[in-house]
Amino acid sequence: MDSDAFAAFYQRSARGLWAYLARVSQDPALADDLMQESFVRFLCAGRPEFSLAEGEVAARRYLFRIATNLLRDYWRRPVSASIEEMPEEAFAAADLTAQADSQALLGPALAELRPRDRQLLWLAHAEGYTHREIAQITGLGSASIRLLLFRARRRIAQILAVQACRPERSQPREEHAQAEPTRNWRSQP
Amino acid sequence: MSMGICKRQAEVNDLLARGHWPHACPAELRAHLGSCRNCAELALVTEAFQRSRAAAVFEVRLPAAGAIWWRAQLRRRNAALERVGRPITGAYVFALTVMLLVAGAAVIEQARHGVRWLDWLPEFEVARLHLTGFNAFLSLSSGGALVVLLPVFATVALVGAVVVYLAAERR
Repeated sequence: MDSDAFAAFYQRSARGLWAYLARVSQDPALADDLMQESFVRFLCAGRPEFSLAEGEVAARRYLFRIATNLLRDYWRRPVSASIEEMPEEAFAAADLTAQADSQALLGPALAELRPRDRQLLWLAHAEGYTHREIAQITGLGSASIRLLLFRARRRIAQILAVQACRPERSQPREEHAQAEPTRNWRSQP
Repeated sequence: MSMGICKRQAEVNDLLARGHWPHACPAELRAHLGSCRNCAELALVTEAFQRSRAAAVFEVRLPAAGAIWWRAQLRRRNAALERVGRPITGAYVFALTVMLLVAGAAVIEQARHGVRWLDWLPEFEVARLHLTGFNAFLSLSSGGALVVLLPVFATVALVGAVVVYLAAERR
């Protein structure tokens, strides 16, 4: 893949990848870092089949796989960040995210799910991947994807239904989720 | 929790994926959602995720593709340099090992015949003054064998290290 082909591929896939990383991690600053790292690792892997036009779907799937592995590595890392180490942009971006999520009611609902469930739901319902493709991206068994996805969908549907019935209560929960964005998903392997 | 699959789920999924939901959806399918929990959940969740994705893609300020390309090239170059340096390190280790073995063998050999490290020093003074006697000094002095053997072994070690390096590099 030469630089021009990469630039075109980057423009087509970077926003979707960032959305995946930002919504699943609930940390836009982390999503910025992991997105860049994903593309760098993608280029360093240098797989020649991705230079073909028909390989873009596979390239995109491979990119999501790299991003998923990076997220998993991040979650497994011990927590050591202090508030001084966090960039200011993180706080500004968090406000934007909160605003967007409050419109869609999805942010608070996602915060109540496990990270793996967030990944599965996003890949299935936002990116439109099939069970087999999700299995390739996440490294989970293809047979278990169906059951895990079914349970996660049922869970988030219940949360969304409750939030839709009580919209005035969603705001405090969202603020709580934004104030402690890492508590829920760092506890997961 | 039973995982009942509705026959119309694929139909709903297809409409959602194409963005035809709910405006281009047949009325009877919309009515079906009122009675089917699976399809209703599918529609609710997919719509929420699609809306969230649509909002999220405009939040990001993308860095230039060229900057990422440059970073990747830099990382690839560093990885290549590291790969090249690996056999050189191997050659160093090999040469050092051979040299230590040779030195050890020489010390053991000397110790077996009694330590006579400095016996040849007076002769060396003589040989330095009379160059014609230098060859005789090498062959006859007690340390002469050591003086000849050590450079030979060092050369063998060096050549061996180069061979190892070239073999590793070719691989």
